[in-house]
Amino acid sequence: MDPLDRLRGPVPPRPHDARAIAALAANPGCARRAVLDAAGIDKDATATHLGFPAPFGQSPFAITRGNAFEALVKESGCAELLRMLRELLGLPIAQAAYTDLGDVGGNPSAHLRHSHTRGLLDRAARDRDDAGTLYDHPLLRLEIAGQSAYLEPDVVAFQLGGRFHIIEIKSFAVVDGQAEPDKVAAAARQAAVYVLALRNMLQELGHDPGRVSHEVVLVCPENFANRPAATLVDVRRQLAVLRRQLARMTRVGSIVDALPPGLTFDLARDADGAPTRPVAELREAVRGVGARYAPDCLSTCDLCLFCRDEAAAEGSTDLLGRQVRDALGGVATVPEALGLADGSLPPGEGQEEIARLLRLADRIYAEVS
Amino acid sequence: MREIHGTPGNHWYAPGVSERLDDLERRIDALRREIRRAVRARENVLARSLRAELRRAEQAWDQALADDEAPGGDPAPGSLLPIREQVHQALTLLGVPAAARVVVAVHTALRAGSLRGSQLTSLRRDEERSFRGAPFTRPYYLCAALTDRLSASRGLLAVSTWPLERRVIGPLSPRVDFLTTAIRVAEHVERSAGAGGHAPPGARRLLARLAHNIPGAGGGPRTRGLPPVDVLTPAGPFGEGFDGPDPADVVRAARAELEVHAAADAAARAEIAGRARERLADAERLFGGATLRVATA
Repeated sequence: MDPLDRLRGPVPPRPHDARAIAALAANPGCARRAVLDAAGIDKDATATHLGFPAPFGQSPFAITRGNAFEALVKESGCAELLRMLRELLGLPIAQAAYTDLGDVGGNPSAHLRHSHTRGLLDRAARDRDDAGTLYDHPLLRLEIAGQSAYLEPDVVAFQLGGRFHIIEIKSFAVVDGQAEPDKVAAAARQAAVYVLALRNMLQELGHDPGRVSHEVVLVCPENFANRPAATLVDVRRQLAVLRRQLARMTRVGSIVDALPPGLTFDLARDADGAPTRPVAELREAVRGVGARYAPDCLSTCDLCLFCRDEAAAEGSTDLLGRQVRDALGGVATVPEALGLADGSLPPGEGQEEIARLLRLADRIYAEVS
Repeated sequence: MREIHGTPGNHWYAPGVSERLDDLERRIDALRREIRRAVRARENVLARSLRAELRRAEQAWDQALADDEAPGGDPAPGSLLPIREQVHQALTLLGVPAAARVVVAVHTALRAGSLRGSQLTSLRRDEERSFRGAPFTRPYYLCAALTDRLSASRGLLAVSTWPLERRVIGPLSPRVDFLTTAIRVAEHVERSAGAGGHAPPGARRLLARLAHNIPGAGGGPRTRGLPPVDVLTPAGPFGEGFDGPDPADVVRAARAELEVHAAADAAARAEIAGRARERLADAERLFGGATLRVATA
């Protein structure tokens, strides 16, 4: 039996979506997340069963708003989008073709839709002159730790100088040229996932993957109106992080091999799907894989509250954020750091330098307060 | 044939009105009985789906009653016409297949009608049912636009009396249809202004929205690279004293872009229409075939 299947228990692996894959890149050092994701475990259900349900999930209002904005941008054969691409990238007037790749008639499988997308994008990449311009509802595929995840970017545009551009439609506002950095970063990470998937597809088809631009078109409402505006976002950095993280996931085997042989995160669901596994037992199992909690986990990972609780119980310096943790290299807990600072704890080997700094900080703190 | 036997709740058109109401009442009674039974047996899933069906049946009953009243009243005001008449009017004005949203927007702006998007959701299905029950008995049907895979295009409404070429959607057709829509709306605004009347503000607003996405139409940037003109009017294109774009400008600009696409679009449409004539029977030609094959492109 595959060790990952054993970890997951007798349930189908949870498919990854772009948001989840993007979140992977946010905390590359966390072994717990890497293992749970590689095994396709439903982290949300796990966290809920542990008594730490994830504090997020999109509000239905936000989803409705997002969908309405997307519909507005795509109305009448992407009329708004064409205007923006003409302004932003100088798309020639003649190129206005719109192909709905989701329209395969009836209600077909992801696999069918993916091969349809593949066929048409292959044709687009091959003959430049006769190809379409906008491809709506494409379905891309990305291999994640041996499973294929199907991804649906908002629109793919082609023919802007023979290159493909991923278009990401988001409903957060860009006011006076500024948007919330968190949201832009999240959108860029998500778009990077699509760029990577599209590049892989072109490569498989024997085209130059470089024809997928690393500049994605981000479409957001401008200022306080609902009028869409487009900006180019460079996702090269996000792509690099993502690639590294995905490579790491395929090497997750080495982490899994080091785990105790009987370990499983199976929730032991009964016939109605309600988990029956004793909570204490599951808690021990999850603790068996080391986490690397950081405050930004709170916006990306389902298990964040569990990990935070664990870090707090251990007095771990992770709670204080990445910068502090890195500055306190070699000092694992807050009590230890305090002990080193007031001199009650003799510095261990290799801790002399950090102990000196902590004592200095303690003295300065005592003088100014 | 598929899906002729749906819930009688959606079966509005074929039978006479009072017969229909009787049917519906019987159906509602039966559903209530079944729900009671399901609740007693604690079959929650079944009860929920039955309740949904009951709601639909009740809505259909309300609708049937409203339809019953409509022909008795004065037929002139737009809002008292049956929904399919109103949609037909809007589509005839546009002359191209249109999404429900566009139909509602155009109808609201130009006819001062009160269509709601939700009223259009089951329209195509009901029309299909009626057609399959008794083909070609009505002067027109509201039908589907066909994609290049000869299936029904998602969300687009068309009129059955149009030539097939107009009802099929090639890659450039959404753009062409959008430009045609803009031209028709502009002409309508111009006509009502020319007749001495004043185009309703809703119509001018709609025109401004359409013109915004046509290069050189006065609603957006005149040439590529220049900032949008309404940068200078902070209140946007509908600020004080701004009358919206000139309809003649919109027509000119839209025609100019249309010329660029016309030949390629016509060729694609002719090809798809040819295939549709060859392969599809009457009902599929109107409401789309159920093709489920992978693209052979």
